[in-house]
Amino acid sequence: MWDQVGQALNQSMNRMLSEMASLLPGAVALIAALLVSILVAWVLAAIVRRSLTKIDFDRRSAQWGFPALAEWAPAKSPTRLATRAIAWTVVLIGFLIGISAFDVALTSQFVIRLFAYLPNVLAAVVVLAAGSIVARFLARSVLIGAVNMNLQYARLLSAGVKWLVTVLAVAMALEHLSIGGGIIRLAFGILFGGIVLALALAVGLGSKELVSRSLDREVGKTSSLNMREPVGHL
Amino acid sequence: MEMDAVSQPELERIQRAGGADLVVGILDADHDGEPGAAVAMVREALAALCADLNRVARAVVLCNNGTQSPAAAPEAGSGGQPLTVFSYTLTAPGPAESPQRGISDAYRSVFGAAGKLEVRACGVIASHLAAVTPQWIYRLIQPALELDFDLVAPRYTRHKLEGLLNRSVLAPLHRALYGMQLQNPAGPDFGLSGKFLQRTLGPELGSLRGYERDPMASIAPTAASGGFRVCETHLGARSQPPTDWMNLSSLLATVLGPAFVEMERQAAFWQRIRGSSAVPAFGYPETASEDAGAMDVRRMLESFQLGTQGLRDVWGLILPPTTLLELRKLSRLPPDQFRMRDDLWVRIVYDFALGHRLRTISRDHLLRSITPLYLGWIASYALEMESAGPAEIEARIELLAKAYEVGKPYLVSRWRWPDRFNP
Repeated sequence: MWDQVGQALNQSMNRMLSEMASLLPGAVALIAALLVSILVAWVLAAIVRRSLTKIDFDRRSAQWGFPALAEWAPAKSPTRLATRAIAWTVVLIGFLIGISAFDVALTSQFVIRLFAYLPNVLAAVVVLAAGSIVARFLARSVLIGAVNMNLQYARLLSAGVKWLVTVLAVAMALEHLSIGGGIIRLAFGILFGGIVLALALAVGLGSKELVSRSLDREVGKTSSLNMREPVGHL
Repeated sequence: MEMDAVSQPELERIQRAGGADLVVGILDADHDGEPGAAVAMVREALAALCADLNRVARAVVLCNNGTQSPAAAPEAGSGGQPLTVFSYTLTAPGPAESPQRGISDAYRSVFGAAGKLEVRACGVIASHLAAVTPQWIYRLIQPALELDFDLVAPRYTRHKLEGLLNRSVLAPLHRALYGMQLQNPAGPDFGLSGKFLQRTLGPELGSLRGYERDPMASIAPTAASGGFRVCETHLGARSQPPTDWMNLSSLLATVLGPAFVEMERQAAFWQRIRGSSAVPAFGYPETASEDAGAMDVRRMLESFQLGTQGLRDVWGLILPPTTLLELRKLSRLPPDQFRMRDDLWVRIVYDFALGHRLRTISRDHLLRSITPLYLGWIASYALEMESAGPAEIEARIELLAKAYEVGKPYLVSRWRWPDRFNP
């Protein structure tokens, strides 16, 4: 009986060792892929760091509408943030490639689906970035226009426009990422509609008198100015 | 974009007739009266020129809403010298074009026609025709024809509340940058010699990323930087359209934008200039009639205060912290104490010019955001000059112009080393 127990244990051990041995090539491939990706990441990071430093990316990123980048970047340097993001992305890709070498169906499928999801992530990042730039530009246009029209609620209008565009961009990004689905659409509709309704109420009802006074001032002053003030600019 | 106001066959017809000595452009499209009134006025002026100089025989007149009479018959000048006038209509601006764009295109059309005909002088009248007389045309062209001046700039009789953008920015800025004291460096009425005309039509000097030169903004700086002879001529009072307060920011954007672009083009020249000098002036200055009452500055002060609160983030990208602090203090002053110092205003203009060059923010946003500051300057000027006479006003404007010259080293250092200070 003890012989049979010993034989069963030996067989289990042998199976386990042979399974481990079959994983060895995959492990070697994983380590090799990691080493290569680390090397590529280092080279790419150096190139990107040099290019971004040349165009003064740290200063320009604030002008382009991303002042918050400096706040949550390491050492308050958006260049360093971008460089590290690219480096870690390359290392992650190398890791995923290495994982696929194990030739296990589950991990292979996981890697394939992850790679198939990457374009969605990139599209979402582009949509968010574009939305941020557009939101900032439109908010500033509305702010300057409203101030020049002597509207007291210029900052409110500007903030409303900025949030409208930002909410739209976030909803579009989440749509690309296939996160939430119907819940996100519903939440976006409620939020977007709520912001529009709030702005309409603020302008139309809540600030009725204010708007009325502003408009009266503009009409009255335009006509009275023409009559009383012989101002020429050129 | 140059438009061919005079077609090629017509050009050839004029050249077969012996060419043209002058081209006169009448750009005002809103004049009342008979369609040929503008042409008749030009003919009267040219007849006087013909009598005086005895050398003008043929002229081309380009009018907005003028009559088209390509087969103009020779007329006798007052001295018996035959005078032939060819008149054509300028291409009307498109419906989507702004008035400023339309005037710029009209300038280019007139200069283009004058260049092709290789005339000896060219005159452009862009002012409202209600106040224009034949003497205006004579005074703009005669110095270029007889006295060898290359650019004849206008000098108008103004009330204290007229020409405010010119007084506050355009004229003193031109004086400080290019060393030339002109009352109206941006015209709009000019006389040009044939030699200077060919220079303005020449290839673009140092093109700036596709920006087209605005003729009104570039004529005087080109004359200054090219060493051309410039003079002024007294024309009298202009007729000004009423101020459209709702579109003041558009006016500032269309006027200051080309001026700042020209400043960028001529940077290598104006950085070497120190001080300024007056140019010869012709004609007799007229005294302005009595001013029509005081100005209500409350709205302007409100605009300034609203701008200080609402646009501080935008201004913070253009102006240094010390200037922002001074503006904040200024916005808290009561109206009777509201005075914008000259050095503050000068630094604001220079910082905006620099911001325009560096594209710190969108150029359109930058130019429009100067509106509350400009209104603050007008309010300060109106309050200070409320009971001032013409002599005091001229002295005050002279002080402002001197402040621009004194502040020029600030502009030069920031222009050369913009990264040393970055708001």
